[in-house]
Amino acid sequence: MSHEPKTFERKDYQGAIAPKWCPGCGNHGIFKSLTKVYAQLQIPPEKIAVISGIGCSSRLPYYLHTYGFHTLHGRAPTVALGVKVAHPELSVWIISGDGDALAIGGNHFIHFFRHNPDVKLVLFNNQVYGLTKGQASPTSVLQQKTATTPAGVQERPLQAASLALAAGASFVARTIDTHLDHVEAMLLAAARHKGAALVEVLTNCVIFNDGAFTDVEDPVRAADHVVSLRDGEPMVYGKEGELVLKWSDKGELITSNRNADASESWCYDSRSISPTMAYALSQADGRNGPLPIGVLWQREIPTYPVLQTETGSKVEQTMALERILAGSQSWKVSAR
Amino acid sequence: MALYITDVCTSCGKCEPLCPNEAISQASDIYVIDPDKCQECQGVYDSPRCASVCPVHCCVKVKEG
Repeated sequence: MSHEPKTFERKDYQGAIAPKWCPGCGNHGIFKSLTKVYAQLQIPPEKIAVISGIGCSSRLPYYLHTYGFHTLHGRAPTVALGVKVAHPELSVWIISGDGDALAIGGNHFIHFFRHNPDVKLVLFNNQVYGLTKGQASPTSVLQQKTATTPAGVQERPLQAASLALAAGASFVARTIDTHLDHVEAMLLAAARHKGAALVEVLTNCVIFNDGAFTDVEDPVRAADHVVSLRDGEPMVYGKEGELVLKWSDKGELITSNRNADASESWCYDSRSISPTMAYALSQADGRNGPLPIGVLWQREIPTYPVLQTETGSKVEQTMALERILAGSQSWKVSAR
Repeated sequence: MALYITDVCTSCGKCEPLCPNEAISQASDIYVIDPDKCQECQGVYDSPRCASVCPVHCCVKVKEG
């Protein structure tokens, strides 16, 4: 009798509870794309661990039929790192939001990329605190009116991709919630990358920040407002592909008309040695020029060492750990 | 005369309460439109309500494929 290996479908990764985000929320699309990617990679559900912080985004593990942990606010990367060290065979994912990852969890976000564990961080960026009813977040844009900024946001927004690049991230990608095929492609590319990966997804909050991304979400308007980065190709956009994003002599990103400009266009390379171009693209937020989406940068660097699988039995490791914790200078205090 | 929801649907549920004919319901994976109830919002809205609110534009007039 032959045993056919079980194949997994998207529904095998969906939990018993249907997602409870608001009707119209962009998170629904990201959830669908994530489960499609798991099915495409045929990872058994029991080999996946999804770790989240706090926020609307972080409710996601409840809706999956995988291992999951709804952890402390901003601390998902630390728990995920622990999971990966203890169980390197698992596919570990972090689900976080702009407040969770960049405000209260900003410190952990930086060191997550410095450690470079083979863990994927999906950042749902809706530029507002949705779960707590609409306060300004670190990615809220200038003049954005929120519950805590009735006269408009005064600070410049933080770019998650720029911060990840500065922290030495080995994979940085950006995508948009309604471009489902693109979201799927980015999650798939992140899953196949060996190391810590950031996938920032711009997602529409229908209640507290509705329409924040209309220019880039709408399929018709997106043609004029989005540059989809492809390796080995110029950064072309526009309804007829008539515009191209270029690197000027002054080191700025400028838009040029392909029909009027005969000079050769520079081709994009996500594996370039320097992250300079990726940084410039990460700073482009779609307000003064097009929004670049795709894999901004990737490189192969050593992942966080998982020594446990390489040497010694569990007992030896535990004893070694106890020796390390005790150190050479420790004392026992006993009651008299 | 009816609209149809493609498999692009993310099951976000935005369309369901807005349908004037209560033609939309949740199926196992995506939302579906009952073609017997859908009247493409004629006489109620200028354009089909579901198509105008769908974030991923998956409410279409003709079945694709």
